[in-house]
Amino acid sequence: MLLQQLVNGLTLGAVYTLIALSFSLVMGILGVLNLAIAELFMLGAYFGFTAIIAQLPLPVALAAAMLGSALVAVVIQKVAYEPLRNAPIVTPMLSTLGFSIILQNVATNVWGSDPLQLTDEVLPGRLTLGPVSISTMQLLVMGSTVTLVAILAFVVQKTPAGRALRAVAENRDVARLLGVSAARVTLLAFVLSGVMAGAAGVLIGMHYAVITPYMGVDIGLKAIAVMVIGGTTRIWGALVAGPLIGIAEVMTVAYGGSQVRDFVVYGLMILILLLRPQGILGGSRSEQGQRV
Amino acid sequence: MSTYYAGLLADVGILTLGGLSVYIILATGQLSLGNAGFMGIGAYITSYLTVTLGLAITPALFIAAAASGLIGIIVGFPALRLRGIYLAMATLGFGEMVRSFFLNLSAMGGSSGFHGMKHISVGYIWLWATGVLLVVMLLERSRVWLEMQAVHDDETAAGLVGLNATAIKVGAFGAGAAVAAISGGLFAHHHVYIEPGNFGFERSIDFVLAVILGGSTVGPGALVGSLVLVMLPEYLRFLADWRLAAFGVLLIAVLLVRRQGILDRSLFRRLSLRGAA
Amino acid sequence: MTTDWNRKLGSAALCAVIAGALFAGAPGVAQSQEIVLGAIVPSSGPFAEWGRANTATLQMVEKQVNAAGGINGAKLRIVILDDAAKPAQATNNLRKLAGDDKVLAVAGPLTSSAAEVTFPVANEMKVVSTSQASSKPGVAKNNRPWAFRNTIDEGVLGRTTVPYFKKAFNVKTVAIIYDAKDATAATVGSKIMPALMKENDIKVLNENDPLSFNTGDLDVSAQITKLKSLNPDGVVVSADYSQGVTVIREMKRQGLIKPVVGSTQLISSAILKAAPEIAIVAPATFYATMKGEKAEKFVKELQPILRSTSGLPKDIEPSMYDANIYEIVSMYIDAVKKAGITGKPETLEADRVKIRDSMTKLVGFPGLGGPIGFNDDGDAIKAFYIVQGQNGTWESKVRGCSTAPGHAGC
Repeated sequence: MLLQQLVNGLTLGAVYTLIALSFSLVMGILGVLNLAIAELFMLGAYFGFTAIIAQLPLPVALAAAMLGSALVAVVIQKVAYEPLRNAPIVTPMLSTLGFSIILQNVATNVWGSDPLQLTDEVLPGRLTLGPVSISTMQLLVMGSTVTLVAILAFVVQKTPAGRALRAVAENRDVARLLGVSAARVTLLAFVLSGVMAGAAGVLIGMHYAVITPYMGVDIGLKAIAVMVIGGTTRIWGALVAGPLIGIAEVMTVAYGGSQVRDFVVYGLMILILLLRPQGILGGSRSEQGQRV
Repeated sequence: MSTYYAGLLADVGILTLGGLSVYIILATGQLSLGNAGFMGIGAYITSYLTVTLGLAITPALFIAAAASGLIGIIVGFPALRLRGIYLAMATLGFGEMVRSFFLNLSAMGGSSGFHGMKHISVGYIWLWATGVLLVVMLLERSRVWLEMQAVHDDETAAGLVGLNATAIKVGAFGAGAAVAAISGGLFAHHHVYIEPGNFGFERSIDFVLAVILGGSTVGPGALVGSLVLVMLPEYLRFLADWRLAAFGVLLIAVLLVRRQGILDRSLFRRLSLRGAA
Repeated sequence: MTTDWNRKLGSAALCAVIAGALFAGAPGVAQSQEIVLGAIVPSSGPFAEWGRANTATLQMVEKQVNAAGGINGAKLRIVILDDAAKPAQATNNLRKLAGDDKVLAVAGPLTSSAAEVTFPVANEMKVVSTSQASSKPGVAKNNRPWAFRNTIDEGVLGRTTVPYFKKAFNVKTVAIIYDAKDATAATVGSKIMPALMKENDIKVLNENDPLSFNTGDLDVSAQITKLKSLNPDGVVVSADYSQGVTVIREMKRQGLIKPVVGSTQLISSAILKAAPEIAIVAPATFYATMKGEKAEKFVKELQPILRSTSGLPKDIEPSMYDANIYEIVSMYIDAVKKAGITGKPETLEADRVKIRDSMTKLVGFPGLGGPIGFNDDGDAIKAFYIVQGQNGTWESKVRGCSTAPGHAGC
């Protein structure tokens, strides 16, 4: 049973990693908490479902959701973030909250508040290794998570666009002096974050095969905790922190503590914030966060 | 005034106190996304005192405020290590931990909630709301507030001119926690029933929203923000299924048009001058 | 100059908002030719679909009654307010309905959390409020004499559900999983069900190790893995249908194909689609494929209306809560007729008392599933059915009645 629980924890961890990355792109680069990401994730799931129900193949569904969520992310950036760029960070956070209310309402009106379900599993196969049973979908979720993290890390570390992202993350004013267009970089951060949230929505939606307009709310809060634990400045941080929290949750449940699970997770987050405010993989940045 | 508006005004009063609790902490440059946790602590302590121990509501509120203030101070110390959004997220975690704690506190009903409080009048709620608001406004004219502003603007510089930044920041946390507890105690005795779900992240965000929307540079901003947050969804009822979306749109619109909040210092001065004349 | 103007405009607008907030919407005068009833439903938020279907049901009643000439010569008007499933909004809805709209009685609110805070207001304002869905034990009982629920306490229903479940699937052991954040589900899962299992000699395998999750959880794999390792004959799932779907799908995914038993919270068409091969046993007072003249007529009339309402799915069926709110309003109308209430504003208080007394003494009201009355706690005495869901439909297995000493049965 322990091994099986480990598999459960790793899957859940992959889920958290995907959403946490989406938060961390905007947070790490712009220092802003985009609360609407939970809803971009939810929208991604609905886009993916719509495509799957229309008998489109999985890669098409994935692409559609990534594109759809990225487009909504652009709208959020143009309307809710860019005009408030110089305001205290709490203001754009609340304007993205406005978007999150709007998107929940729109999704309820379009798809209904009842859970939307897929009749069949998208990838029905299962793999059994001794006492452990793992579904093809679980493997896909974990595999895609690692791949997406790798791609993202490559983009951020090796490409010119990524270098611009990092320059802005380090120091917006210096980056501008060096000729980096802050507006374009901001847009890129939002687009990448939307793409990640959309991908997470499809993969997670298909894995659990049941979605609602409010599915992003609670998992979004947990993903914020994962982002903090992983450190907002390191892409790989989320890949460590996600499974860490996933396994911590699963083990709390496995050893009789299902009722104190959230207490444990958030306690762990606070502990790590206090001991290593830069995250478990974070560098040694002394100046953390701007003034509110 | 109909009982309907009285009910809404009770909500406004409770939310104003919640907003003020965030405002006090924000004045030192710290953003708390966990004040619903302090509100919950206040609600549960006050209810325990009045229902189980039979205390009157006013002393119960004072005791709850003191206890929550103490917890606020204890939380405030580790919070010193964190800044900006990281502090905000730690407080978010604190709020969720408090909610989870009450969910498992079977002595106070756990998830089934807690009953038995006696209903209080709207007037009583407003007595507290205006009382606390006046204290905050007096505070705003005091030296302490200047020191808080100094810590808000530049903590290092404030330290260099001999201000005790630690005491100021921790003190603000304690005061904010006490005010949130009063808000919670009043909430519990207005609705005469509480459950852990009342004190989640959504409530913490409502508090912050009240301050930012109403105006984060003057105390009465929290009052204006609360008024808008409670009344606006009621006035949007004609939109039926699109009511919440419209609320979101208006929320963004207000933030875009008045990023400093509806009420700022200059507007407040004009309004109060007009009132005096 | 311009900024000055803006400021003036801004402050003027602000004054207007505050003034409007305080004084606008002065109580409207109810017309003497109208019988006004109120309803509180969650048309936005996580239960939007229930609320919107409830709204369509109420509008249908209003239309039917007025087409048939109204009540005592007066027209029926139902004022429907949305509480977004938020308790605080539900209390203000009740204040508005009772204070401003001068309604005779109120149907709703739907959730137990909302009922907990709204029922005290009903007593304060002396107006009947009857919930269409709350089934958390003791909610109406705490708020006598103005609070009612057209539902049966889960503790009463379980007394028939569990013996059937035991017999039908030869269950000797169960494991319990519940939603700890949902007050009704947590009470049923941690108190009512364990006690009922003991009464029926069924062993609860995780008696000292309660398994729970929270509303909003997408992943319950760890809990199900643990359930599976206990190897129970049956599984108790205490959660609302939306969370129940998540649990049952995970059971299917992990190959835990064991019969499930739960409370009325599970009843919905959505849960039947989760895993058709897993049998689900739960109590219901109404389900869309129910037999009987009244029920069939109700479904035949309401279903096309629901399906053509925007914002509702094209394959929606009338739910138990639509049936309940339909019965509540029918009871009010019946009371209005019998007491000869004509909706005069000067007799409003006396009329509200008449409706309350008529509800308290109600015996044998013709409901959709049989006669309805109320017990001393304010909960319905009505017929219920233990239904079994499998392969996409509910099938009735046992008919029961929530009798109470000193009251007529069903």
